[in-house]
Amino acid sequence: MSGIVTVMKKEFARFFGDKRMILMTLLPAILIYVIYSFMGTAMADMFAPDADRTQYVYAVSAPDRIVQKMTDSGLTIHHIALDDVDAVKYRISERNADLLVIFPDHFLQDVEAFDPRTTTALAPNVAVYFNSAEPNSLDTYMRMLGILDAFEASITSRLFDINRDITDADLATTADLTASIIASILPLLLMIFLFSGCMGLAPESIAGEKERGTLATLLVTPLGRSELAAGKILSLAVLSFLSGLVTAIATVLAMPNLMAGAEEFIDVGIYGVVDYIWLALIILSTVLLFVAMISIVSAVAKSVKEANMAVTPMVIIVMVVSVAGMFGGGAQENPLFYLIPIYSSVQSMGGIFSMEYSAVNVALSAASNLIYACIGGFALTKMFNSEKVMFSR
Amino acid sequence: MSIILKTEGLKKTFKLTAKQQKLQNTKRKVITAVDNLSFEAYEGEIFGLLGPNGAGKTTALRILATLIKADEGDAMVDGSSVKTDPAAVRAKIGFLTSELKLEDFFTPNYLFDFFARLHNIDPKVSALRKKTLFEKFGVDKFAEVKISNLSTGMKQKASLVISIVHDPNIIIFDEPTNGLDVLTARVVTDFLQELKEQGKTIIVSTHIFSLVEKLCDRAGIIINGKMIVCDTLAHLTAEKPLEDVFFDLYAETVGEAV
Ligand SMILES: Nc1ncnc2c1ncn2[C@@H]1O[C@H](COP(=O)(O)OP(=O)(O)OP(=O)(O)O)[C@@H](O)[C@H]1O
Ligand SMILES: [Mg+2]
Repeated sequence: MSGIVTVMKKEFARFFGDKRMILMTLLPAILIYVIYSFMGTAMADMFAPDADRTQYVYAVSAPDRIVQKMTDSGLTIHHIALDDVDAVKYRISERNADLLVIFPDHFLQDVEAFDPRTTTALAPNVAVYFNSAEPNSLDTYMRMLGILDAFEASITSRLFDINRDITDADLATTADLTASIIASILPLLLMIFLFSGCMGLAPESIAGEKERGTLATLLVTPLGRSELAAGKILSLAVLSFLSGLVTAIATVLAMPNLMAGAEEFIDVGIYGVVDYIWLALIILSTVLLFVAMISIVSAVAKSVKEANMAVTPMVIIVMVVSVAGMFGGGAQENPLFYLIPIYSSVQSMGGIFSMEYSAVNVALSAASNLIYACIGGFALTKMFNSEKVMFSR
Repeated sequence: MSIILKTEGLKKTFKLTAKQQKLQNTKRKVITAVDNLSFEAYEGEIFGLLGPNGAGKTTALRILATLIKADEGDAMVDGSSVKTDPAAVRAKIGFLTSELKLEDFFTPNYLFDFFARLHNIDPKVSALRKKTLFEKFGVDKFAEVKISNLSTGMKQKASLVISIVHDPNIIIFDEPTNGLDVLTARVVTDFLQELKEQGKTIIVSTHIFSLVEKLCDRAGIIINGKMIVCDTLAHLTAEKPLEDVFFDLYAETVGEAV
């Protein structure tokens, strides 16, 4: 046991004592921040509304002139009574309706009569409710604003307000929006960052030590092969986790730049402590699995170069499986999916971010990751024991 | 004198890949690197394994150091079998070869402590030992310099000292002076003499006759994995110089194809 600690301490001393190594680990984070900040507009398209979908617009006391303008611009209006307002608001927040416009009873007369030069009364007010988490709703909202603006311009010197004193016009819950953005891309990004964190460390630490003959020096001490394997895997996992974490933080910080205006919506406070604990478990177990995978490849490789070459196809596998895990309409419910390495991690993370997960399934994927990592640890011990692997020519 | 190391019928074969067959210009799929090797080393002596390139010296010493496993036979190292108790053997020997390196990034000071911990040495004992050894071999002057910044001679000194952190009774050294200039080679031979004076047993392998003549009490000549003779140096060189003894033996076993 003490051998594991000794090996881990040495690995940490190696990493934290080397400014160049630390810089190399921070570099992806810096690059991502810079690149994402420049890439903002490209991503905006992802959140564009679906052109073929009909929009569900509900209106209370809408004047004919405005209904005409709305119909002209392709919106179909359902007239409802004031009593039904709450039901529609709920449907908007549930994404089953897109827009609710509430006009005062005698809107046109009020506007005609309103003259800011002669009265201190407030201008007539139109309330417009929407859901910014739903691209269709957001789009309809923007069009509605356009229609109202045009209308206001057409009645020169007459005025009215939109959403004055209404602070809750956007019916998306903050949690809803944050979840929709983060859940869609963060799992994939995290997987890639974690894997590249491992990739930057494990080949150097294992294939490199083997290539330089420093691993063999350890093998002639009483240090157990399994202790060496465990010490390497654990220390590399901690370091890879830290490097992945730094990159992920840079990404979250860059996210508002990536999606203009997202900063008001990204609110990591919506997740509870339990959510974070599950997330940490998933990430840590995934990192252990990644490190075990890359360590085995690195142990077999004759040089760092060969190890890096062998690991490259693994990046593609991780990416493909992660992308597959991103789609398929939210988190899978069948527990069997949570036994598939990588896929299960993506599903669990997506579930946690969108706050729709089953604790059993997340626990299952953390446990299966740990079991696979342990199997990897045994395999690595076997490699350290194998003269073919360690001393082949 | 008592026997401290004894090998019995050690045999090691390697399967050759097609590439290796081409490189070694042979059609054999399997080569026997060490063939029925038996010898003994007595406590407190320097024993030399002398043989030409490819004779199987490194392979034999790696078996003794438990880095590789013999196909047949066994070796008892200070009472422990390399076959059944390799961990105990590793605790009893210091193994040195030019292939085993120290990590460039660290200092001799750090590495001494690191290996002491791997050998489960009490920190107080190891601190004292470090002080003594570093002073004796002049490592104290560069104890805080990274290995990568040391000269070959300094590196060699650091390796020597670190290989005996655990104060082993047996030191196994593959090609102790290979690739070293005369000054550094002298450091190494002095180191081995010093250890012998302390009562340690030393096994060295080499293809350099003069080294055996200068250093060893007894030697075995090994050709193609087989031990041809094994005797005290006095007996071996009674009639003619060691080099001539070797050539005669080589002609006898391999033929005139020298
Ligand atoms: N891992 C291996 N795979 C295949 N063949 C090997 C391996 N290790 C050693 N050999 C072969 O075994 C034979 C003995 O090699 P060994 O290295 O033990 O010789 P040596 O006496 O140390 O020679 P040298 O003086 O060149 O160091 C050689 O023919 C070598 O090619
Ligand atoms: Mg050799």
